[in-house]
Amino acid sequence: MSYKSNYIVGSIPLDKLKPKKVRKNIELTLWERLYIPEIVRGMYITTRHFIINMIGFVFPPEGKKRKIFTVYYPEEKLTIHVAYRGRPVLVQREDGKEKCVACGLCERICPALAISIVGGERENKERYPVTYTLDMSRCVYCGLCEEVCPHEAIVMSDEYIGLAEYDRKNMIYPKEKLLVPVARLKNRIEYVREIYGKANYMD
Amino acid sequence: MFYIIGGVAVLSALIMVTNKKPVSAAMSLIVTMLCLSGMYVILDAHLIAALQIIVYAGAIMVLFLFVIMLLNIQEKEGRLSGHKIFLQFAWIMLVGYVFISMVKLIGGDSLPARVEGSINGFGTTKAVGEILFTDFLLPFEIASILLLAAIVGAVILAKAKVD
Amino acid sequence: MIADLIEAIAKILFVFGVNMGFFAPILGWVERKQSAVMQDRVGANRADIFGFTLIGLLHPLSDTIKLITKEDFIPAGANKLFHTLAPFISLTPALITFAVVPFGGQYEIFGRRINLVVADLDVGILFVFAFASLATYGTVLAGWSSNNNWSFLGGLRAAAQMLSYEVAMGLSIIGIIMVYGSLKLTEIGAMQTDFFKWGIFLQPIGFILFLTCAIAENKRAPFDIPEAETEIVAGYFTEYSSMKFIMFWMGEFLEMVTISGIITTLFLGAWHLPFISDERLLSLFGFAGPNGSIIMLMMANIATFFGKIIFMIWFQMTIRWTLPRFRYDQIMKLGWKIMLPISLINIFITGLVVLLK
Repeated sequence: MSYKSNYIVGSIPLDKLKPKKVRKNIELTLWERLYIPEIVRGMYITTRHFIINMIGFVFPPEGKKRKIFTVYYPEEKLTIHVAYRGRPVLVQREDGKEKCVACGLCERICPALAISIVGGERENKERYPVTYTLDMSRCVYCGLCEEVCPHEAIVMSDEYIGLAEYDRKNMIYPKEKLLVPVARLKNRIEYVREIYGKANYMD
Repeated sequence: MFYIIGGVAVLSALIMVTNKKPVSAAMSLIVTMLCLSGMYVILDAHLIAALQIIVYAGAIMVLFLFVIMLLNIQEKEGRLSGHKIFLQFAWIMLVGYVFISMVKLIGGDSLPARVEGSINGFGTTKAVGEILFTDFLLPFEIASILLLAAIVGAVILAKAKVD
Repeated sequence: MIADLIEAIAKILFVFGVNMGFFAPILGWVERKQSAVMQDRVGANRADIFGFTLIGLLHPLSDTIKLITKEDFIPAGANKLFHTLAPFISLTPALITFAVVPFGGQYEIFGRRINLVVADLDVGILFVFAFASLATYGTVLAGWSSNNNWSFLGGLRAAAQMLSYEVAMGLSIIGIIMVYGSLKLTEIGAMQTDFFKWGIFLQPIGFILFLTCAIAENKRAPFDIPEAETEIVAGYFTEYSSMKFIMFWMGEFLEMVTISGIITTLFLGAWHLPFISDERLLSLFGFAGPNGSIIMLMMANIATFFGKIIFMIWFQMTIRWTLPRFRYDQIMKLGWKIMLPISLINIFITGLVVLLK
């Protein structure tokens, strides 16, 4: 996926955003004041939908795009847009180590105080988080940690299932639970670069 | 049957007079109205019974309740003293005695007893309508003019407050 | 004597069974499913027994079980007597009024005249109005006795609205009474044999007025300000739970059935099929012998009547899911300034036409 900059949020092309003409005079015409024709008009619309859908229920149309857009949730799932902010995850490099350098910016900016980091150093003088704890019972999915991270080490994933728990203790996620391979997060990382302007200084 | 309905009517009327909660009093008045309409049914006057329920129980008492609720009348503390209850009973007895003696004075002992199925079609809508618009046309019209005057008066009173 | 008793009991059981056993539980499902279909949704379809969902038909069952096993809650400071009494008061009129609605004509089977109505009263339609007006108390008392501001507001709104629309409803029906010259619902029904003698053709304005007032009396959208969810939680039954909540629910649905029955009897030709007279049907069923053909005719008439009722219920539900709610002042204005004068004019014109004919 690639994102062109002539799209604004909501993915409406800018050249199509024209102001609609609003009817300013709220004075109703006599035909509208009679009220009954307007009721009949409204009921014609709903009845048309009713009949079309009833026929669709009894004889489901073959191959056609269906009229009813309900998603049968647990069986069907929507494809989630890349802008969706799901569970925050730590990016795992190809060599299996975490990208995070334990700078503590996310810990500092987190408005819900959900993140706590203990930093350390590897043998090759590389900083890494010894523990990285994310309290999912406090996380508000704001995405500030992702925005502030200088190393693209924490991003919001598209996971939204299984986040509810009966016990608060289970909702404190350690580092091992947060790590996700970078290959799975490519789209989101690219998107983050686009929207936060990180492409200017990232390699 | 008459004694059951009459007993309930008198009992609920007594509750209505003695009860201190306005809503309970109004509800027992509704029960009285329903019992009255039951009495009309016993007398074969189905139309009057239906009208009794529609007009009194259905419309006027709803207005009563509405006003009671809107004004939010609180129940007053304390019970009636024995002295007052005695006075009330004395009044009721006196009024009842006067009423009975008046009836006796006017009608004597020849109050018309109900005869089983004597009058054909008595109490039906047709019979009531015919009597109302032939024999009792003048009283009917006078009553309607009186009510119209009352409505106009009510509108004027209400309007004066708005302006 | 015994045969009369059996006939009466059979009729009562039939009406009661159809209302309580068929309409009351199934209308909840119809309401949900029809609204879903109208709005391009799927609707309730998850309750199942061993994996069979029956297009959501088991939802009323699960709802009933859920509500019965819930706690029956009476709020602190509520008037216990009236709080308990109110649901009964609102349910009973809806059940009783169906007694005067005829669901078929008069038939002679095995030498017996069978009149397919529970109580053929002389006052007929006035009986309906009498008990419909008593239904107001259920709502008003429920609102008052709950000791809750939202309920109280709902009760007040219900009292004002139902009182206002009772007047217009009573006047809107006078036109049809003048045309047919009877208060008896059975006679009015029997007179509508010809398709173009149906009440809806003789009294189109009366039909619209009566339908509007009836929906307003039933407190359904667009006249549902007594229970407006977006304004006053659930209105007069905010504080109700368990069985009493079901009773309000059922009362509303049964009132809808009763309204449909009355409209069918008065305006939609009662138990008569359009363009096919009863004699024609009788000759069609001639193969079943004299008694058998009359029984079949009776069945056909009952089926026609309930078919029309189901159509009217569908129509009311379509209105309910099409129109938005009125504001309180709009409802009052509509009731007193528009419906009342129009119904008076309707009476006047009808009287002129009846007089000149």
